[in-house]
Amino acid sequence: MKRQDLFELAGRNMRNARLRNALTILGIAVGVASLVATCSLGIGLQNFANRQLMRSGMFQTVFVTSRQDVRNMDENAETKPDEQPQITGETRARIAALPGVEEVAPEVRATAEVVYNGQPQFTLLAGLPQSARDEDSVEKVQGRFFSGPNADEVLLQRDFAKKLESDPANVIGKSVTIRYAERQSGEAEGSFSIERHEKAFVIVGLLDEQPFGGMRMISRARVFLPTATAEQMNLMQPADTQQLVRSTPGQKTYSMLTVRMKSAAYAEQVEDAVKKMNFSAYSYLDAARSMRRFFAVLDMFLFLFGSLALVVASLAIVNTLVMAVLERRREIGIMKAVGASDRDVQRLFFAEAATMGLIGGLLGVALGWFIGRAINFGGNVYLSHTMHLPKENLWSVPVWLGLAAVVFAVAVSVLAGLYPAARAARLDPVQSLRYE
Amino acid sequence: MSEQMIATAIEARRASRHYAMGENQVRAVDDVSFTIPAGEFAALLGPSGSGKSTLLNLLAGLDRLTSGGLSVDGHELGAMDSEALARYRRHTVGMIFQSFNLVPAMTLADNVELPLRFAEAPRAGRSERVMELLHSVGLEKRAQHKPSELSGGEQQRAAIARALVNRPRVLLADEPTGNLDTRNGQEVMTLLSELNANTGVTILMVTHDPALASRYARQQLHMADGRLIPNVEGAR
Ligand SMILES: Nc1ncnc2c1ncn2[C@@H]1O[C@H](COP(=O)(O)OP(=O)(O)OP(=O)(O)O)[C@@H](O)[C@H]1O
Ligand SMILES: [Mg+2]
Repeated sequence: MKRQDLFELAGRNMRNARLRNALTILGIAVGVASLVATCSLGIGLQNFANRQLMRSGMFQTVFVTSRQDVRNMDENAETKPDEQPQITGETRARIAALPGVEEVAPEVRATAEVVYNGQPQFTLLAGLPQSARDEDSVEKVQGRFFSGPNADEVLLQRDFAKKLESDPANVIGKSVTIRYAERQSGEAEGSFSIERHEKAFVIVGLLDEQPFGGMRMISRARVFLPTATAEQMNLMQPADTQQLVRSTPGQKTYSMLTVRMKSAAYAEQVEDAVKKMNFSAYSYLDAARSMRRFFAVLDMFLFLFGSLALVVASLAIVNTLVMAVLERRREIGIMKAVGASDRDVQRLFFAEAATMGLIGGLLGVALGWFIGRAINFGGNVYLSHTMHLPKENLWSVPVWLGLAAVVFAVAVSVLAGLYPAARAARLDPVQSLRYE
Repeated sequence: MSEQMIATAIEARRASRHYAMGENQVRAVDDVSFTIPAGEFAALLGPSGSGKSTLLNLLAGLDRLTSGGLSVDGHELGAMDSEALARYRRHTVGMIFQSFNLVPAMTLADNVELPLRFAEAPRAGRSERVMELLHSVGLEKRAQHKPSELSGGEQQRAAIARALVNRPRVLLADEPTGNLDTRNGQEVMTLLSELNANTGVTILMVTHDPALASRYARQQLHMADGRLIPNVEGAR
């Protein structure tokens, strides 16, 4: 039988038992809607989490240390100490040349005295690389970010600014003097001397959150200056003594480099390249991987729960079609008598099942979309009124999900039609035509 | 020999259809042999339960032989699988029933179109073919009516139109006038004999009515208890 004839006959049969078929279709629609709603919530939550983490800049960052470093992450590395190179300026240039690398910055942290309005405050300084500009916490800066990589400008932590002015916003645009210890090469080989210096800066902005500038930012710096500026200042750093003992004299070495990529997609590649150079590399990608695993499991559970309703709906299809087979016994006999093959009869019931699945699936996706919107709306009301958080899209129905749900509904329906269709095809025409 | 084959529309060779009923065996059709030449109008007579419908269903390709052979228009029914039998039902035989067996939810036109759908006839020209058939049985004005809106005679004429729509070589009729009054029965019989005369379609008609058989049929087969009774007047 031609497909068009098949669906014409199927459509006619379904119109003849309108109420029953409509209810069955509604059942499928509710099943698909629950599937779409739960899956879209899963996808939405995953997108939300991804957005949050990506904005933090965590996944765009790889940390490079020498394998000699005390913080060395693979203590059991098989390479011998003399094969473990120091991180030098040359290393820095090589890493900067890797594809996808936006910026390579050393970690600069030092204690210093900040003089504002003649009042000194002892605090912790940290270099903030240019690439931190795109970070979420830095994007929300009050005031502005550094005007250039070598600018003599600082950003202050809001809490620190509160110690300087009763209204912290007043510090913006004011100047501040930083007294710091400068490291200078010593007269003897392998030694250095320390001198006190002063430098004037303009306060250009306030930060609320801790920027993710480096691995040990947890120890809360209060004053941030451009990394390049900080490097030129030759700040005496805690790691300097450690380096003094080991480094090749006359060469500048780094204890750690923070590598910022253009996107998280490069992180793995860069990590591998750095490890090939025989340095330790670490990124939060591993954490991201376990997060992805978590969401895969979550999605699977949501999918299972969502499909449960569809499984119930498929039983309704089985019921409806078995009823139809019983009711249309004679008609099936007639069709066979005028030339229908067993396969024609089977396909006719499949076509009815598939049609119900298709209509139910389309209705269900629409319904699921509305349910998802409602959940999203409710969730946002909660976020903004109870938690005072900005609106977020917790829920997403990508086109593929809609399509997949419809295909899934049709597949489940045809599967449910398997038994009734086989029963109809097996019907003995002589028997079904015998009695009135 | 081969000319003989072509001239033979129906041939039964020791055809049997037995049903197993627990311990017993019902021999609905038992060792039946006969031939009906092409273009013949034949009647199959016999008391109730003698196996007439069973034989007709075998010939229609709706049922299968227990033993023996049947050939219709050169098709050996015993050798066919179910797909081939379905094709055979589409193209070689047409069947009409005592109870008409029109699909109640379909209009007459849809009923007549049904065999064209299974035969995968091209959609273009289908409705013309349907109207042509309905016209030939005098029902062109009733094309959009449901069977329940028609008299028994009209329903049977529509069933005849449906049976003929794929131009079968053989028409099998199981008591076509059994549910009709005399006048409607006459009308249907006239239609069948005209069809036989004008198109040369071979007709095998089951009937209880010997008068009807002798009036319209040129060949008569008599059955009793599943067997053919030989040498009755008219049997060849
Ligand atoms: N499926 C079956 N199982 C068992 N016995 C059957 C079956 N079908 C038919 N029979 C038996 O076969 C015999 C022939 O039946 P059939 O319907 O062919 O008779 P018939 O000559 O057409 O009778 P009628 O004139 O009443 O229509 C009957 O005895 C019937 O009970
Ligand atoms: Mg009978």
